[in-house]
Amino acid sequence: MRRKMLAPPENGKRVVPYLMAGDPDLETTRKLLLAAREEQVWAIELGVPFSDPTADGPVIQKAANRALSPGTSLRSLLDWLSGIPRNERPPIFLMTYFNLFLAMGLDEFVERSGQAGGIVGAVIPDLSYEDSHDVRKVFHAGGLSLIPFVAPTTSLDRMRRIVATSEEFIYLVSLLGTTGKELSETGDVSRCVSRIREMTSSPVCVGFGIQSPSTAGNVLKIADGVIVGSRLVQEETDPVRWKALLSTFCDAARTVSPVKVP
Amino acid sequence: MGSSSRVVEAIRRRPSSLPDRHGYFGEYGGRFISESLMEALYQLESEFRKAWSDPAYHREMNEVYRDFVGRATPLYFAEALTRKLGGARIYLKREDLNHTGAHKINNTVGQALLALRMKKKRLIAETGAGQHGVATATVAARYGFECDVYMGSEDVRRQSLNVFRMNLLGTTVKSVDSGTKTLKDAISEAMRDWSHSVLSTHYVLGTAFGPHPFPLIVRSFQSVIGRETRKQILRKEGRLPDALVACVGGGSNAMGLFYPFLSDLGCKLYGVEAGGRSLRPGDHAARFQTGKVGVLQGSKTYLLQDKDGQIEQTHSVSAGLDYSAVGPELAYYHDSGRISFSSVNDEEAMEAFEMLCKTEGILPALESSHAIAWAIRHAREFGPDRILVINLSGRGDKDVMEVARLRGIPLT
Repeated sequence: MRRKMLAPPENGKRVVPYLMAGDPDLETTRKLLLAAREEQVWAIELGVPFSDPTADGPVIQKAANRALSPGTSLRSLLDWLSGIPRNERPPIFLMTYFNLFLAMGLDEFVERSGQAGGIVGAVIPDLSYEDSHDVRKVFHAGGLSLIPFVAPTTSLDRMRRIVATSEEFIYLVSLLGTTGKELSETGDVSRCVSRIREMTSSPVCVGFGIQSPSTAGNVLKIADGVIVGSRLVQEETDPVRWKALLSTFCDAARTVSPVKVP
Repeated sequence: MGSSSRVVEAIRRRPSSLPDRHGYFGEYGGRFISESLMEALYQLESEFRKAWSDPAYHREMNEVYRDFVGRATPLYFAEALTRKLGGARIYLKREDLNHTGAHKINNTVGQALLALRMKKKRLIAETGAGQHGVATATVAARYGFECDVYMGSEDVRRQSLNVFRMNLLGTTVKSVDSGTKTLKDAISEAMRDWSHSVLSTHYVLGTAFGPHPFPLIVRSFQSVIGRETRKQILRKEGRLPDALVACVGGGSNAMGLFYPFLSDLGCKLYGVEAGGRSLRPGDHAARFQTGKVGVLQGSKTYLLQDKDGQIEQTHSVSAGLDYSAVGPELAYYHDSGRISFSSVNDEEAMEAFEMLCKTEGILPALESSHAIAWAIRHAREFGPDRILVINLSGRGDKDVMEVARLRGIPLT
């Protein structure tokens, strides 16, 4: 069962905010989801807290700790989401570490995601392409997308195999490292995007290092989307400020005039 | 499949066929790690396989083992302990006599030589008790690498002596304040460092754990323990031992001793985990007693976790066994029945520590004391003509302050 792909925004430039579910409580998360909907983001990456987030920097680690203390789990989150009307939240990609999916069971995860509705797929940073094949089969059978990662270090040969999975989008890690650092120049991104473009028509969204609307704007001249993580997570316990900040990223995306990637 | 046919199946598939080319031991292992690090793992695997089949590499490593590390370590007949326990003839494999005081340096030497071949300038490592940190700092000094060692802030406090040793060796110890502030968090932080420094830096993982090819590499370097033991026991007793015992944290000393004996089905293999204060969640590190299969820090294996998949805290009197996951190869041989696992609690380990001091004049590490405690418990189940080899993986000098504290003896 393949779902219909999400429609691109008018100018093709996607903004995907990342937020940590349950930080500091689900009531706040509900406000953030609604705010993101009002800002008309393309989709949201909804983090589920894990005790040992190896791919995340200090800002998101702290958010995970805040979310874990009231006991936010994948199961409780999916149950909770099924009670939030679809028109009060953007399309959702769940982002967390593989052990949480294993602990729930992949089949149960797919079933509960279906019941919650509006869940497009999952981003699992510690599930390598090599270990992902069985998971992808289960996800696809349930109409979920498993987002593939490409990094500046990825060889051309592996890149070709990774992007051939052709999902809702390709997650391009813009800089080596964990989340929460600023991307200073876009040379690597530009090189990677043009390589990926030769291999697939799937949109390329860039994550890691999108700390300001101007960086987002620069990256969006080249890529199809930006994932904004740590910068927004810093503000997520205050929904009003979070929305105002998100709005500046969305404005930057709307005013991008694309340049042709050589 | 019956247990004996499972064992036969396990043996049929070893030794060179596991891990398979995707890094799996049966269903365990793999490379569950971020994409940024994948190419580095491929490079490491290919460099390791090239080096491992290169006689010049082995010549160099053997020379360093002999002249710098002090190998071969003795296989010592513990006559007084044997008499006291009144059962099997007990031998100790004296890894405690290695330079830096534990088996950890077998691995760091091998990895440092690999890092030289890969032209890396910097080494990073995680450490719990500090033994692997010291062993990494030592080879970094010897070969001129920059070196940073990540250590949980709780362990920095408990093991201040080892922190200072690393500093003397020119290494910077980075205190990790996240999570439980122990080994698990130090590994996460080392992985974070590696994911942005990967082009210039080699991550010297200290145990037979993490993403492929680390379990393969660490086992290969540590299997010098078992290869020597085999030769030495044949020379001394004219036959193979009836049983081998090792403590199990991540699993490097256990796999190192067991690996060359896996096909000798007459030789029973016993792994001993940390039973801590009790087998309640958070009180121990006995993964095979109460753990469930999951994925942590690169590897699919048995983990101590709650029903939602969050990793549980652990406790052990010995920092080197205080970890919530176990090496994937051990998980495989656990399921096949080739290795039997049990646990020893803090108090039994402390008593074993004291008994070995008094009977043999040897101060064992608290980690190794778990293996001694197993022998104390089971020696009499073996007849006096049976041979039991215990891996004395490290010496206990580092633990003296902690033992004094736990026994309520003030030291100035």
